Amino acid sequence: MPHRVRQVEAIANGTVIDHLPSRVTLKAAGLLGMPDDQLFIGVNLGTNKDHPGKGVIKIANRELSDLFLSRLAMIAPGATINIIRDYNVVQKSPVRVPEAFTDIARCPNRNCVTNHEPCGTRFDVQSQDPLTVCCHYCEREFEAAGLPLL
Amino acid sequence: MGINGAGRWLLDASLSCGVYRSVQCRHGAHVPQAIAGPSIGSILPSVSFAGRHICSITDLSREDLLTVMANAREIESAPPVGLLDHRVMATLFFEPSTRTRLSFESAMARLGGRVIGFTDAASSSAKKGESLTDTVRMAASYSDIIVMRHPREGAARLASEASAVPVINGGDGSNQHPTQTCLDLYTICKLFPGLIDGEELVITFAGDLRYGRTVHSLLNALTHFPVRLQTMAIPGLEMPDECLQLAVKRGIKVDEVPDLQAAVASSHVLYMTRLQEERFPDPVELAHIRGSYRLHAGMLDEAHPHLRILHPLPRIHEIAPDVDASRHAHYFAQAANGIPVRQALLAMCLGVL
Repeated sequence: MPHRVRQVEAIANGTVIDHLPSRVTLKAAGLLGMPDDQLFIGVNLGTNKDHPGKGVIKIANRELSDLFLSRLAMIAPGATINIIRDYNVVQKSPVRVPEAFTDIARCPNRNCVTNHEPCGTRFDVQSQDPLTVCCHYCEREFEAAGLPLL
Repeated sequence: MGINGAGRWLLDASLSCGVYRSVQCRHGAHVPQAIAGPSIGSILPSVSFAGRHICSITDLSREDLLTVMANAREIESAPPVGLLDHRVMATLFFEPSTRTRLSFESAMARLGGRVIGFTDAASSSAKKGESLTDTVRMAASYSDIIVMRHPREGAARLASEASAVPVINGGDGSNQHPTQTCLDLYTICKLFPGLIDGEELVITFAGDLRYGRTVHSLLNALTHFPVRLQTMAIPGLEMPDECLQLAVKRGIKVDEVPDLQAAVASSHVLYMTRLQEERFPDPVELAHIRGSYRLHAGMLDEAHPHLRILHPLPRIHEIAPDVDASRHAHYFAQAANGIPVRQALLAMCLGVL
């Protein structure tokens, strides 16, 4: 049996965000803000010639806000959320991609009315893989991962 | 729904065979008029538009479009008097417009309605810093329907969310101009009624296909019908991929044609668009493109017998004045179709039709 080495420290209680693309892992961690407790970040885990590797974020003693989960769905729609209690996974669920993202990101189209009027933004999901969205107002399509978050 | 199969339009018949007659309009162009065969009027309006906003062509289904066509045809054939008596239309034009504003105002006036509004942002409270939604809320309280043109993309959608009365988009930046698309489609349906029930029409888009909003919207609308599309783009200004993908997704074939000569020989409809000269800062390059992209009467000798040339106007250099007198020129008749189409849309959104 191969010897398994834990690459990122385990947490007793909290949340593990798994299956993040490595390239967005640091961005996702940044969205959490400065945590009060332990935070572990791993990138390029399991990288080999056939697999680009993944990212993992472990946050001790904290469950994630709806706002964070919406933002996470935009940049990492394939991620999974694990709730940890006493070192065990008690709940595992994929990130839920909504039909529309409201007030999560800014429209990159500089001439979009949302960049010039006091109003919110909304992006309607067009396709899942890759996740593309359409601005509800200017009707331009974008890859969700590249949108500037609010 | 559909037209009488016995009266389908005849693609290979000569224009002089009696399917169409040609009348000379005041601009000197010969305007073909369908005098036999099917009419759009045989389609029964089936969708209620009462209270609806018209922000984008993507909001309109095939049934919606057919209902607009049918109502426009009905209004054109028997102009109703006083249909919109005592109704008020607010025109909020935050940037200049000639055809759109005048045709909306004319459409409303001819149906007995009244018009209030402004014709540029400088004469509105926007200059004082008022938000668009505040301006729209105020205008909605003074009117029964709002027609708006704005330089920002998405402005009409935002306005519709603030308005208690229907908002019709008269152009929002480079995004949408749905009433132009409806009148383009109406023009094509009048010329070629078989479009509606299965005859394959060849429609070529020529010019600036990248930034021209009219071609994007018309392509979207045409994908509801069994057309074959061709493109002849100025190099570097090709049709965006998302437009082509939409056509493919809806089973519409899109081919490229190399030049205008090939386009006139192979098309039933040649939809020309203006060269947006501001996108070519190099005057030498601009002069070269102007020369290579100009339709003149001599190029029409080999034209498809049913070819009709459309253009959303204003045309600049891309169509020589000598084309105007050709039986193939149809752009002024196309612009005139803006009246019945906009009359229909106003009456429909106000719940009168």
